[in-house]
Amino acid sequence: MRFEPPDDRDMLREKIIGLGETSLHKSYYPELQSRLEELERFRALLDQTHDAIFLIRTETGKLADANASAGMYLGYSKEELLAMPFASLFSPQQKARLSEFIPESGDRPSDSRQTCITSLLSREGTEIPMEITVRSVTFGGEQYIVAIARDITDRIRTESELKIKESALESSTNGILIADLTGTVMYANPGFASMFGYEQKEAITGRNLEAFFADPTLGEKITGHLLDNRTIVDEMIGLRENGSPFHIQVSGSVVQNNARQPLCIMLIVMDITERILAEQMRRETYAQIEKNIEQFAVLGDHIRNPLQVIVGYAEMIDDPLVAKILDESCRIDGIVTELDRGWVESANVRQFLRKHGDGA
Amino acid sequence: MTPRNPLDLRKFVAPEFICGSGALQLAGRYAHNFGMKQVLLVTDPGVRAAGWAGAVGESLTEAGVSFTVFDSVSVNPRSRQVMSGMEVYRSEECNGIVAVGGGSAMDCAKGIGIASSNMRDILTFEGVDRVPVPAPPLICIPTTAGSSADVSQFAIITDEERKRKIAIISKTLVPDISLLDPEPLTTMSRELTLDTGMDALCHAIEAYVSNASSPMTDMHALEAIRLIHDALPAVILEPEDLNLRFSTLLASLHAGLAFSNASLGAVHAMAHSLGGAYDLAHGRCNALLLEHVIPANYEAASEQYDRIGAIIGPVQGERTPPAEGIAAFRRSLGITGTLASVGVGEDAIQTLARRAYADPCMVTNPRRLTCEDIERIYAYAL
Repeated sequence: MRFEPPDDRDMLREKIIGLGETSLHKSYYPELQSRLEELERFRALLDQTHDAIFLIRTETGKLADANASAGMYLGYSKEELLAMPFASLFSPQQKARLSEFIPESGDRPSDSRQTCITSLLSREGTEIPMEITVRSVTFGGEQYIVAIARDITDRIRTESELKIKESALESSTNGILIADLTGTVMYANPGFASMFGYEQKEAITGRNLEAFFADPTLGEKITGHLLDNRTIVDEMIGLRENGSPFHIQVSGSVVQNNARQPLCIMLIVMDITERILAEQMRRETYAQIEKNIEQFAVLGDHIRNPLQVIVGYAEMIDDPLVAKILDESCRIDGIVTELDRGWVESANVRQFLRKHGDGA
Repeated sequence: MTPRNPLDLRKFVAPEFICGSGALQLAGRYAHNFGMKQVLLVTDPGVRAAGWAGAVGESLTEAGVSFTVFDSVSVNPRSRQVMSGMEVYRSEECNGIVAVGGGSAMDCAKGIGIASSNMRDILTFEGVDRVPVPAPPLICIPTTAGSSADVSQFAIITDEERKRKIAIISKTLVPDISLLDPEPLTTMSRELTLDTGMDALCHAIEAYVSNASSPMTDMHALEAIRLIHDALPAVILEPEDLNLRFSTLLASLHAGLAFSNASLGAVHAMAHSLGGAYDLAHGRCNALLLEHVIPANYEAASEQYDRIGAIIGPVQGERTPPAEGIAAFRRSLGITGTLASVGVGEDAIQTLARRAYADPCMVTNPRRLTCEDIERIYAYAL
């Protein structure tokens, strides 16, 4: 038993008489005030939330309470809201949808939480897209429904933008690959799958970059280069699923978050096999032309030299055909000279082609 | 002795009470008025069997108030019983308590109330003014005439582990309303009538001689002593007489108003110690101790004791010392025996005295008793 030292007995006696600091008669008022303050704090929290919160009487379908955000979204004062049936906040098209989640007056709603995407009608008639979560609750023996409505305008816009971006990725003829910072593939678009001969893009997910290059060390090199330099553009030899190599151009970058920390890497891959082959053919063609023209120059010399001998010899003889021989020799020399001139011009043409012909 | 000055500050706290036939049937109306929707009806198996809990339940039902019965209450209510009641109170989502029964049921109900509103173990409230949050609304319907728990600021709970009674004293324990109906008293046994009657007498005497008494408490205490002296012997002979039962109920009410405000003294401090250790009926403990405490206190409150003696005595027309008058009154009612006859041994006296010395009721005893004084009183009562 609690022992009170004699010196405390006088104080204890004062308390028993009822004269102690806290020797108060039973009163619910201080507790009521404390609870009211608690409620006010809670109310302030509810009013600060961005979600619109409605308390609906199940029996009548009318609003019993609503937070400040509800009024702000819909343009009604709280008093106006409390005089309205909840259903009047929905357009006629949405009302049918509403009954799936909030039963008709008097019916007991489900105790489980349910969520629907719908829209609320503001005072101006604007439909605000909302995700509404409803749940049945009981206070003081009365059934209510709590509906928490979240404005999803931004979310819908973001989802739409995301969908466009996703479609762009999916429909790109270039191969697009997203891998984590260790080089493990997280996403490959159909273009990539098709380019590398995979039937399904899902077969690529989870593999390492090294699987897609003829040189298996390239995957690690690309990852390392990107982490050091953020970007890469290079031509490489890709490796199809069946093991056949082909020419690719890889443009890569590091995807960063807002704090500029690397999240993943993205590679855009182009099949450049046709271009590489065309370049090769062109190089071979130029080489052949060079060779032919050189041979042609030699051929000119081979013609002029005997022609000089023929002209010299003809000038020494007296014959009625000399004039004819000299004329023909002069004509042949003219032709060769013309060919020489054409060779010079052809050199200019080749130079032009080298400069502009391949677009390089 | 604490000197008395009529100008000393005093406080008087009393609950609303309704007394008379049919008061019990107002339980539903008041429960409704207090905003109770789900009531914990605290009672004990005896009172339930006598039909009084059922009658109160009907009244609640008529008023549209739901209720859950909690009757796991014994004589000298245990802390575990209080805590189980609290569990029921919370699990049934109750918002008010109606107690139907004697001091045990009402003290248990008070305990359940403060334990649930403060979410603490009942034993942590021991002492004076240790209840920060008031209990939910409490309606009391006494079925005995003695404990006065329906109007008092006391709740006495047994700490069964340490075999002792703890006193919780707080103005917040005063119930919201007491419905004093004489009819439930008619099913009390003779023994219970005597024990509770002697408890009420003891409340009145200790309040009257208390060093915290006041003119207001004196008035109620003296009226209680007069009523008990007249009505208790008579009601033993005519237990069905509603007028006599009502007199004992009024006596208990007066005694309760007196001791709730003036507090008690050595008799109750010693009876709490005894009851905790031996699980004895509280009223019987008081009855066996009262006449032995009076001589120890007499010099500190001789005027008051003489006035009591004048009401209780004289024995056979002769003016006798008050202790003898009390002893004679007890014997005339057929309450005989000593502490030894109820199982108390001499070897227990030291421990009993130490616990009684620390009981808050000892603070308002007219004389500041030492442990040795208390040991001597116990020894006389053996």
